[in-house]
Amino acid sequence: MIEIDLEVPLARFTLRVATRLGGGVTAVMGPSGAGKTTLLEALAGLRRGARGRIVLEGETLLDTPGRLARPPEKRRVGYVPQDAGLFPHLTALANVRFGARGAEARVESATSTLELRGLLERYPASLSGGEKQRVALARALASDPRLLLLDEPLAALDVGLRERILPYLVRIRDEWRVPCLYVTHNVGEALALAGHVLLLRDGRVEGEGAPLDLLSSPVLSREAEAGIENLLRGVVLSHDAEGGVTRVRVDEGFELSIGLAADRALGGGVTLAVRAEDVLVSTEEVRGLSARNVYPARIAGLQRTGVDVTLRCALEGAGPVLLARVTPAAVRSLGLEAGCPVWLAMKSHSVRLV
Amino acid sequence: MLSPEETRVVLFTLGVAALATLLILPPGVAAGLLLARYRGPGKGLVETLLSLPLVLPPTAVGILLLSALARRGPLGSWLAARGIEIVFTWKAVLIATAVMSFPLLVRSARTAFEEVDPRLVGLARTLGCGPTAAFLRVTLPLAWRGVLAGTVLAFSRALGEFGATVMIAGNIPGRTQTLALAIFHDNQIGRDDRALVLAGVTVGLAFAALWTTEWITRRRARRTGA
Repeated sequence: MIEIDLEVPLARFTLRVATRLGGGVTAVMGPSGAGKTTLLEALAGLRRGARGRIVLEGETLLDTPGRLARPPEKRRVGYVPQDAGLFPHLTALANVRFGARGAEARVESATSTLELRGLLERYPASLSGGEKQRVALARALASDPRLLLLDEPLAALDVGLRERILPYLVRIRDEWRVPCLYVTHNVGEALALAGHVLLLRDGRVEGEGAPLDLLSSPVLSREAEAGIENLLRGVVLSHDAEGGVTRVRVDEGFELSIGLAADRALGGGVTLAVRAEDVLVSTEEVRGLSARNVYPARIAGLQRTGVDVTLRCALEGAGPVLLARVTPAAVRSLGLEAGCPVWLAMKSHSVRLV
Repeated sequence: MLSPEETRVVLFTLGVAALATLLILPPGVAAGLLLARYRGPGKGLVETLLSLPLVLPPTAVGILLLSALARRGPLGSWLAARGIEIVFTWKAVLIATAVMSFPLLVRSARTAFEEVDPRLVGLARTLGCGPTAAFLRVTLPLAWRGVLAGTVLAFSRALGEFGATVMIAGNIPGRTQTLALAIFHDNQIGRDDRALVLAGVTVGLAFAALWTTEWITRRRARRTGA
């Protein structure tokens, strides 16, 4: 639980944020220059001009009326900037150990969460962008933070690398359970990771709420369309080498066929991704289609996201909501509206292991 | 070969230069850090004042020091009352070389500190370091090459200081005579051959100091790949 009531004077405007955030991941979104990075820096204690109040889990970090401003080293807030910010004179391992105060067990579990084993003796100059981000994430985790601040950790990476880092972020969220503010421009990432979105514009909170509810916000819509993705966690049930498929039981309570991934251990956890535009929508029961995954569902809501429309579809019987992206023309000709029963179909090969 | 007197001059010069460098190292590094980080009024003025000895004729600095430190001068009288004699002693050599070398150290240190990304220092703070620990664990390790280069530069400058030294320490063989002064002295009394030998010694010393720095910083650079 973190209470924020902040004012930070900037050159163009004054950043004003007043909100109360629970645990889990909060995505901080909005156009460039909206004050997202400034907000993170103020929370970390790196902005001298910040005024107001910050209370993190009952402990006051900033209270300017009460003349209290805890210095960054007393806040236990882990910060990962966009470019990772590794110390160039230290090896990856020394970077991870930097803030751990000798807690080798934490260093150990942080390096294993982010799978750094082969990299530990290397210097940052010889690490790739994705490797740097993983080391920076491990360094922040090893310092035992009560709050994580991630500033576009995937922005500098190309699409392939993004998909490889994303599961690490999911692991951090689910296994370390550190509350997290996550700056991103990418709606797909926000949907995949965040339970809550804080939308900033020109230094003000433009909107706040569940990621799906903010999809139609004009601030996001231009960027919203690309990268809307369904991210699912599950365990491997079986491999069918002859049929070329692997069965996965998704945590939310349904099963999926994906392209054969025989290298994944039975019973092992996996993260799956399906692009919203790869989910087919039918108003009639689907028969004789080659897609292996067909589910009855109901449209819970429609949202205009740029040119296209994103449908929120609740699977029958189970809890999860899958996002499907269709053209306005399809909405019109199929007569799609909230409450409509539909069938969703996904090809095994549209479901990617990430 | 060097005569015993000449050997003493070489050792005296090395000793005074080393002591002067050690003396200015803490304030020089501190001044470099402050100038690199401080943004506010008066910065330009302080920078200019600190760099002044670089461009002034050393004899001008010497005469200023002399008037301050002479027995009737404002500082000199205070010191004389406590039985401390500066002018025309080895201490005057030390002060002259320290004053002339200080700006070189400050400038190099400032440049070195300015090259350290302040965000890295901020990150060190979020990872539990107080300001001093952040300086020792991040700023200094990243800036030490520049600081070392500045230190060697200051040392080399101290080895060769002439103008300010001659004004407040004189050129007294066996007491205040450094290499630079001895070369001048030999030339004045027509012993150019000895002056050349001593000049060769100064070239050797300065070369060794600069080359060692180059070697250390290169080796370090290769290891981090930076």
